[in-house]
Amino acid sequence: MFKVSPLRQRQFLGGIIGLVLGVVLFYVLTLEATESYVSVGPMNTGHEDLSCFACHADAKGNLLQQVQSNIAHAVGSRKESVDFGTQDVTLENCLQCHDRPNDRHPTHRFTEPRFKEAVSKVDATTCITCHAEHHEERVSITPVNYCMNCHQDLEVENDPLDISHKDLIAKEEWLTCIQCHDFHGNHKYEVAEHLKDTIPMETLQAYFDGGKDPYSDVKKYIALSQEEWIKTLNKKE
Amino acid sequence: MKTKTILKLLTLFMPLVALVSCGGVPEEKTETTKSDNVFSVAQVLEMVAKENDVTRTLYTKAIVGKGKKQGMKFDEDWRKDDVEAGPLPALFLRGVASSIRKNPVPLGLYLGSDFPINKANKFEGKQAELFKKIKHDQEPQFFFDEDQKLHTAMFADLASAGACVSCHNDHPQTSKSDWKLGDVMGATTWQYPKDSLSYKETVAVLNSYAKGTVDIYMEYLDEIKAFRKSDKPEIGDKWPAEGNYLPTAEVFLDSVKKLSSYETMKNLVAANK
Repeated sequence: MFKVSPLRQRQFLGGIIGLVLGVVLFYVLTLEATESYVSVGPMNTGHEDLSCFACHADAKGNLLQQVQSNIAHAVGSRKESVDFGTQDVTLENCLQCHDRPNDRHPTHRFTEPRFKEAVSKVDATTCITCHAEHHEERVSITPVNYCMNCHQDLEVENDPLDISHKDLIAKEEWLTCIQCHDFHGNHKYEVAEHLKDTIPMETLQAYFDGGKDPYSDVKKYIALSQEEWIKTLNKKE
Repeated sequence: MKTKTILKLLTLFMPLVALVSCGGVPEEKTETTKSDNVFSVAQVLEMVAKENDVTRTLYTKAIVGKGKKQGMKFDEDWRKDDVEAGPLPALFLRGVASSIRKNPVPLGLYLGSDFPINKANKFEGKQAELFKKIKHDQEPQFFFDEDQKLHTAMFADLASAGACVSCHNDHPQTSKSDWKLGDVMGATTWQYPKDSLSYKETVAVLNSYAKGTVDIYMEYLDEIKAFRKSDKPEIGDKWPAEGNYLPTAEVFLDSVKKLSSYETMKNLVAANK
């Protein structure tokens, strides 16, 4: 039925090879074993064992349905667009494993209107402001002086520090906050009372980059592993 | 028309047919029609704020106030393992707010003041401006938060129990030490994305608040289980006023419902007629 012109045989062969290669690549690159080749970068510290699907869940519908729905949305015959391929990763994905009742700076607190200005400087309503994924590290924000956006008026009665909090703030020593206090408050440790005993910035930077935890090895809550997270999903079903 | 042209047209046309024949991804059907919406967002937030007033007063008076007399401790660091205490009323509310955020109802709840214990909790911007009015007449204030596209309401948070006044006046970090009973100590801020709610959505908002209350109270009871040095109160159907007792979460919630349900039910029934 399809007769290929002798002049077009090379193009036809090239087309067939391209099609076969495309199908093979599509198949191979969607296998779990090849996830690292598709990933935009190595996972952050603690996330090394996660599979792509832990955050990038399949979008609703099949690819053809998604294409059709988005075209319909583009021409105005559908109200909402739909995710294509995988669902957008949201805050909820992070919280499914990392939500803790003792979080002293939970993201939802910063959606209150009074934090509008602070949030315009450092968006504490979402995890990725400080923990951008696929960078093989813990903390991606620099510099770590974000406390200045909310705690300028802090004064501690009977201040136990050798240099008071008030003086540190007056001198704009905002990097010192994190040398004593872990932002989320989940570590169990004695807070230093002398500035010389605080955690050196280089040690903290090494920790942010994925190194040893200088606050403490003991934490009140441990984030869920992928297996534990899957169990929680099964329970919901 | 030549067969070749027909074939070409078919080749172009078939994928389009295949694409359209899939039917697309079904649209979410969570939207309610305008006629289903029987309450304005202001009415619903007033209802849930009323429930909050009753819950907070009950917790402050009957649990914190009476509990302290029995030797029970309440502390801002109550979640720390080396602190054997329960949540202070402001942290109880924060616990409710955190629980609300974990369920699908898009309700936001916050507590602030012009003289907070933690200065980072001081009202700023629009909230500070409206709080001045609330301090003056104790009337709720409503506004639309343009940035987040959320309907926002603020309600006075009164010093309704002796424990509120004494704890805030005596706190080492306090920025005001002359609070009196009945003072407007702060305000709760509530947010919701829609301007009107159906009966079902209204009940979901009220339920999410009630669930938040139970969740944080259960967390407190769980902390008590882990006490090592302190005397553990007996948990059952008795209250601290009777001795070293604490009510179960069910008993606590039942009391809240008894105290608040008349007003709420009146509103719900009126709308359902």
